[in-house]
Amino acid sequence: MVLVEHLNLEHVLQTVSVLESVVLRSFGPEGGQVLFTRDTGQAMLSRSGTCILTALRLEHPLARIVVECALKHGSVTGDGSKTFILMLASILRMIHSTACKEPNVSHTYNSRDVSEATAARRLADELLAFVLEELDDLIATGVVPYGCCLSWEDFTAKPQLPADKNNHCVQKLLASFFQTRLGCTHSDFISDLTCELLTHWKFKNDQPSLSLQFVNDNFPALHTSVSGFPISCSRLIEGQVIHRDFATPCPQTDHKPVKAVVFTGYLQPKLLSAGEVLELRSGEQGKEGSFVQFNTWAERSLEGVFANLQSLGVSVLLSGVKQSAAVLALAAHANMCAVECVSEDELSLFAQLSGARPISDCWMIEPDNVATLTFCQPILLGAHRYVHVAFNDLEERLTIKPCSLIICGPGEGQTDQCASAFQDAIRMLLSTWEPMGRTASTASKRTLQSNKRTSFHKDDQIRNAPVFKPGCVIPAGGTFEFLLNHALLQQARSCLVSDDANMGFPAVSQLLANALLCVPRQIYSHSPRCFLQTQTALLSFIQNHSPPFSLVYNQEHNTVLTQGQDKSECPLVEGKQCMHCCREADKSSKGFMLDLGLESVSCKCQLLLAVLQCVSSLLHVDTVLHIHTQSRRLANISSEGTEDEAED
Amino acid sequence: MMSRLAKKSPSLCTDQPLDNTDICNKLYLLRHLLTSCFGPRGRLKQVHNNIGGRVVTTSTSSVLLSAVSSSQPFINLIKISILNHVSRFSDCGLFAAILCLSIIERAKQSGLRGSVVIKVNKYLLDLCTCYLQQEDCGVRVKLDFCSSQNLIKLARSSISSKPACVLTEQETLHISRLAVQAFLLTVPCNSPGTTVTLGKTVIVSVEGHSVLSSSVFPGLLVDMPDVFHLNNMEYLHSNPLRMVLFSASLAGDLSELGDGRIEMHPGVDTDSQILDQLLELGKQVVKDEVKLFVCQKVIHPVLQQYLRSRGIIVIERLGITLMEPLTQLTGAQPVATLHTTIPPQAYGKVRDLTIRQFGSKTMLHLQPPGESAICTMILSHRNETMLSELKVVCQKTEHVLRFTLREPSALLGGGCTETHLAAYVRHKSMKEATEALSSLGCSQTDYLLGIEGFCRSLESVATALEHDDGKSLLDLTHAHHWTLPADVMKEHMEHNLGPCGCGLVESIPDKKWTYLHTKYPQISPAPLARDTAVQPRVLDSFTAKVNALQVAVETANLALDVRYVIHDMN
Repeated sequence: MVLVEHLNLEHVLQTVSVLESVVLRSFGPEGGQVLFTRDTGQAMLSRSGTCILTALRLEHPLARIVVECALKHGSVTGDGSKTFILMLASILRMIHSTACKEPNVSHTYNSRDVSEATAARRLADELLAFVLEELDDLIATGVVPYGCCLSWEDFTAKPQLPADKNNHCVQKLLASFFQTRLGCTHSDFISDLTCELLTHWKFKNDQPSLSLQFVNDNFPALHTSVSGFPISCSRLIEGQVIHRDFATPCPQTDHKPVKAVVFTGYLQPKLLSAGEVLELRSGEQGKEGSFVQFNTWAERSLEGVFANLQSLGVSVLLSGVKQSAAVLALAAHANMCAVECVSEDELSLFAQLSGARPISDCWMIEPDNVATLTFCQPILLGAHRYVHVAFNDLEERLTIKPCSLIICGPGEGQTDQCASAFQDAIRMLLSTWEPMGRTASTASKRTLQSNKRTSFHKDDQIRNAPVFKPGCVIPAGGTFEFLLNHALLQQARSCLVSDDANMGFPAVSQLLANALLCVPRQIYSHSPRCFLQTQTALLSFIQNHSPPFSLVYNQEHNTVLTQGQDKSECPLVEGKQCMHCCREADKSSKGFMLDLGLESVSCKCQLLLAVLQCVSSLLHVDTVLHIHTQSRRLANISSEGTEDEAED
Repeated sequence: MMSRLAKKSPSLCTDQPLDNTDICNKLYLLRHLLTSCFGPRGRLKQVHNNIGGRVVTTSTSSVLLSAVSSSQPFINLIKISILNHVSRFSDCGLFAAILCLSIIERAKQSGLRGSVVIKVNKYLLDLCTCYLQQEDCGVRVKLDFCSSQNLIKLARSSISSKPACVLTEQETLHISRLAVQAFLLTVPCNSPGTTVTLGKTVIVSVEGHSVLSSSVFPGLLVDMPDVFHLNNMEYLHSNPLRMVLFSASLAGDLSELGDGRIEMHPGVDTDSQILDQLLELGKQVVKDEVKLFVCQKVIHPVLQQYLRSRGIIVIERLGITLMEPLTQLTGAQPVATLHTTIPPQAYGKVRDLTIRQFGSKTMLHLQPPGESAICTMILSHRNETMLSELKVVCQKTEHVLRFTLREPSALLGGGCTETHLAAYVRHKSMKEATEALSSLGCSQTDYLLGIEGFCRSLESVATALEHDDGKSLLDLTHAHHWTLPADVMKEHMEHNLGPCGCGLVESIPDKKWTYLHTKYPQISPAPLARDTAVQPRVLDSFTAKVNALQVAVETANLALDVRYVIHDMN
């Protein structure tokens, strides 16, 4: 039996509004945590939109499409899933109200619903087309000039003085990010820690993205969660922590450096492997080859391996598998300490950092299998004792100081949350850095268009310049939305002036402009006055200062922006939360921006695009077919099931 | 396959959990439950399950909190944080729980926005931790390792705060002394490197004897079930005895062959082959003049018999927990190779072997050949429940004492730290109000309400120490905590007040007091002139309490920040 459910705009809007109401709880500076629990007793805390949406386990197909789109966006940029839902709801609302008012409720359609749906679909398509064509230019002219570009030096220059800290763009960007993910009390602390970590992992003369990619890939091996301590105990420690304890008592050796080898397989030869059968016959023992003799041989051969290791001066054995008791005993006799069952991730990181090859055949140990460590000692972190190693400097990585992150928190929920926020922050930085994927493809299109419609922009130079450099950031707290709103409205106005009526764009850009404002409206939801003041202050700033001025307090511009700004009054970045902005705005139109923190322009840009794609795909659906599958179609279903899980 | 077909059901959601009356009632209930257990005069709780398990009488936070399981994930969140703290620091669990719950309760009563309370709390917490680290902090006591007096007091505060042990004053003192003695024995006298490796105290409990018969021995005591084998012990008293320690099983099983299958043809006698191998080992041990043969696992009876007949003392099934102390004590390296000769460096030494009898238990006392940081504590008590509580308490006390090595200070107990800290926070936060307001970005009323909530929560931990309707007071010079018995009127107070909670301040006639939880004029609590004649009676662990304070505030902040609960029903 097939159940048919007709969808109209109101259904879609309703569904998205429900999602919006959930997400709003943790949106913006006044938002809080969401606690998830399972019947198994697991608890997880999060302010991340991705986590919240996944945990809802929604049933309605429409809602699932929305969640899927939001998750896809989140997995790319590591940020913005909450804003995604918010913006989606806002745009749908705008489309709904516009479609209802549509003058040509045509006579050809019988039902009002159908005409509305058609109008809505048309609007969505126009919006998408408009954004695909114009958004890059609009952002390049209306937003980017007020932002600034992060430079790699921002990572490396460690802020020494508190005044420098204000200049530190990456720190501010991260602080704003962590504020949305961990709350305001710890954001500064954690963002400082992130900056420090990235500084330590800086590859010489390389692109920042390489270094970020490395940290992102190795993050599981690079961090240790410790519960039972306050978050402020989180710290960096030199070298690597191997998340296993010594299998043999660790001897107190003072001689340095320490030599270590990595084994991937068993050291003791095994008589039988799984699936094989050993037949024991009578009569042969005594003459040759009883298995007792095999054991004797196996132990002798082990002694040979250990003699070899001793001659190489090795005193630490790392193994990917569990070794036999004999191996451990022999290691103890040879004054070596052994660490078993080390995970693959950790072994590969160890190999990369030490420059030593892991040993697969224990009969062939060469000098390049031996890693040189500055120390190898037990470290007690919370309930567990782990192995702590530090590496000698290698030629090829003089600038890197390998270090690991210890994340502390009162409970596992908090440490997990912190760890996932950390990883998402790295991902967010990566996508801030990456030049946008579309730029290349749209570049050619744009040149074609610029030939056709020259009236649109006065300044052709901007259009030919690269759309925006990687690493562009803009003050947070709705600045992006205010600026884009302003740019859209101006463009709409200029369109009207030029009488380019057949374009149909003014309506669309007006709609988009209005929809954008929902984000700052939510940010300042606790005080509408603040919203208006911020907007007016920002717009007056734009009018008074032409584009080369950056809103971002940067080292190059500090002479301009520090005027009339009392540093002692705004100690640190407040991130996306701008409690002071009202007061600050009164004081000086230049100074107030400093309190807003920063966010990435490219993330915002991708977000807008993703939302509009989602809108148009949602509005093109008119019917849902509920199919009741019987068990004979089991094969089909199970394959679908696996797909679902893969997407989860 | 079927599990794939099962539809995932939607999650159950709770909006604004702190506005939910059910959750609020449960929080209130939990706070009352824990408050009633707090301190040396706390009430005990009996924990038993519905399937006839053992009844546990306790007042320790770790046992209580793990017994309380709530259907509300929100409660579990708080519970887990506190339990994590206790498992790291072994002390101040109830302090953290009560403080955390009252901060949540007061924040809700104040009606402030969640984000504002969180920021104010964090700010005040930083004030507290900074003050506690300061040199001139009025509630911190430097510990002096030249005398064991303060260590014993620290141990005693920890032991006497667990009334479920049912100890008399004299017994408490005895156990405190033993705990300190055991702790001092585990600190090695001369360690080579910069890192000090602490030894281990092995606790053996003996039921049915007086607490005063508990004692501490240097070295290790091992269970010796069959004493009749040890008839010729006399000659063992001579000089250091050679011993060997096996970590592999000597039962004659085939363990290290691999994962495959073994097919036996008739007529194959593997057992005798293996046994021959084991006896080979026995012969070598005898030849090398080993007098003590210890195995972590099982020893084949034939091998045991062989060794005993050669005058060797055999101990089997030692267990993994005693392996490390035994290697540290004797210097032996565990042997796991059965087919090669035992290398000479694997043998260990024992100075002396003595049989000791504790009630029904017969134990072999192994004394170290030289300096060693291993000791054994024999604990006795009248019944099993009290004994198990006493054992837990002794382990925790050892842990607390170990923290003093890293941070040789303690905090005043008896509620004085809490009241003093509250007075300090009130004073300091008002002095720095302007700076605080601009950095927190909140209004002055919000700030004052936040401070009041935080300080009252701290003070309510001090009041929680009193269970007999006594009144809690605060003196207006040092801001220490005093208790006025229930039947005394305020007019006759001066004559009925003893010293303050920690015993450092004596009652003098012209002192001014005020009841806790009433408005009192702001004071800057004066630090005491350090008079060596008056020593505090009650001391709390510094490290544990500072962490507890931080964890409590952070957990409360977290709980206040939770806006939505999603319960996955799958």
